[in-house]
Amino acid sequence: MNRIELDMDNCEGCRRCVRACFVNVLQWDRTAGKPRVAHPEDCVHCNLCELACPGSHIKVTPDFSSLDWTVL
Amino acid sequence: MPDLGSLGEVTSADVLVIGGGIAGLSAAITVKERKPALDVLVVEKATAGWAGKAGRGGGILAFLTPDDTPDDFVRYHVHHIGCFLEDQELLLEYARTCNQVLDTLDAWGAKVARDARGNWKYVKTPGTDVPWGLAGVDLDMCQRLRKRAVGMGCRFMNKTALVDLLKDGEAVTGAIGFDVRDGGCRLVLAGVTILATGSQNYRVMPMWSCGRGDGIAAAYRAGACMRNAEFGSFVNMVHAASREVIFGAEDHMFNAAGEDISARYRPGLQPDICAMSAVGWYREHLAGKGPVRVKSDENLLQIGSEVLFSTDLVWDRPAAIAFWSRLWEKAREVEKGEEMPEVIPGFIGEQSPVMVDHRMATTLPGLFAVGDVSYSGAAWTGAVPSPPGRIRGSGLMNAVWSARRGALAAVEYLEDRDRLPEVDHALAADLKKRIYAPASRERGISALQVVREIQAALTPVRYSNWKSEERMREALGLVLEAREKLSSLKAEDPHDLARCNEAESMALCAEMFYRASLLRKESRGWFIREDYPERDDAAWLKWIILREEGGEMTLRTEDVPVERYPFRP
Repeated sequence: MNRIELDMDNCEGCRRCVRACFVNVLQWDRTAGKPRVAHPEDCVHCNLCELACPGSHIKVTPDFSSLDWTVL
Repeated sequence: MPDLGSLGEVTSADVLVIGGGIAGLSAAITVKERKPALDVLVVEKATAGWAGKAGRGGGILAFLTPDDTPDDFVRYHVHHIGCFLEDQELLLEYARTCNQVLDTLDAWGAKVARDARGNWKYVKTPGTDVPWGLAGVDLDMCQRLRKRAVGMGCRFMNKTALVDLLKDGEAVTGAIGFDVRDGGCRLVLAGVTILATGSQNYRVMPMWSCGRGDGIAAAYRAGACMRNAEFGSFVNMVHAASREVIFGAEDHMFNAAGEDISARYRPGLQPDICAMSAVGWYREHLAGKGPVRVKSDENLLQIGSEVLFSTDLVWDRPAAIAFWSRLWEKAREVEKGEEMPEVIPGFIGEQSPVMVDHRMATTLPGLFAVGDVSYSGAAWTGAVPSPPGRIRGSGLMNAVWSARRGALAAVEYLEDRDRLPEVDHALAADLKKRIYAPASRERGISALQVVREIQAALTPVRYSNWKSEERMREALGLVLEAREKLSSLKAEDPHDLARCNEAESMALCAEMFYRASLLRKESRGWFIREDYPERDDAAWLKWIILREEGGEMTLRTEDVPVERYPFRP
């Protein structure tokens, strides 16, 4: 599974990462006023959350070994 | 009649657009341009402007350069791309008018690259002499279009999965679904509905996984006809380690014996990948000559380790370059810079069968379908899956082009209506029950398990691309086994409920694919059968039309009216 790390100490809560996530892996935590990684199993490592974060407080580490569809 | 509000939160709009990607946004803006007073609501499962394939695709627009003519384009298309299965009348209209898309995108704020003289900056597909050129648009185009749509007064409902269509008699009058965060039921009543939900990608390839067929399945369940469902088996060649696409790999493939298998299966340089690339790959493995590797230094689409289109050597596209650079930077950590990397076929599917007429109207009144969801179903494209089909850069063009046509026709439809939309309450209640069934079970199996089983029936080349009666029956059997399990799905939360509904859409699309494929007893365009290797113009200049009747998937054929077209086999 891909690893998504949020630097919560420095996150400013701009929500850009949540908007950028087209698979709803990142969701908005209303109570905390911060994003949370709700469904990492659906991450497709497009990296758009990383690119959207103005402070570079997100790191996505793809797990390439989990891509294992049958071809033969 | 019971109040619809008893089922969930009800919203109304003149025009409902389902899908907030490039086609949906283009349709919404077009409706507002034509008739600003109309209330337009865009509903999106993720976030409009960031959803869909366009923000992650190539950002390429295939258009007719000053050296190209519509007649040349149609001639080439019919002979080399769609193989006479095109609706040539619509294809000619496309060829005559598609260039307007560049002006439109530019006017809407998207950044289409220009040269020093202010003309569209374009390249020809390297090594080919095809009658079109490739212009570039930056990958933040959908965010720019969203801004435009917001400025024009379009409304948005994000994080909402609309998975079935509401009806009043035969007419579509809205849609029903749920909020993927809190699970609340949402109903939208609309005078007209525009489906812009993309193609079916079966969530195999990570980056292309946005199309999950919800719109196709919703239209099918509502009784709409499907066309060209058998062409939904698109593959690209991907790096065996990172599984990222190696653009242009198909032209430089060598087997373990060092033989040029691209030359064997894919003679001459072609405008884009073809099904024979994967078939050749498979046959070499079968003959014990795998693995297949790519000679990177011969790849015309790459400069060193850089992909031509992702550098600023062709177009200055900051968002696109940032996106691709980040993606490949991570991929290279596992690719290890091999001189001749191993490639495997990456199944992308791109099934896009919602049948539409020249105005992008489906066979159901009140329902229009634009963009990838109806790319093959529109039939101007012929015997190919949806973008790239066989023309790199035709996806964005078709998305905007078809969205504008569909939106204008939708406005006309609305003008002809003399009453407010109503909804069959009993139908809505039944749909809600179906949609929420996985959430009501105490225990069951996971959506991802069923999805994996459906994928296993599609990704092997021997099933979906190197087809035969026997193997397709085996694959269909796997799909039907997976389908049986849908009634045991258990959703753990609203997000998972969306996955359960997606699994259902995938099972349906896979069944359509194999049933239509079993009927077509020939090879044509993207469609390759080992047991019927030749194109059969005498028997198969036909479209396969598929629809639900009495709970069954029924198939019929319709002759392509080639006698009235300029180009005949």
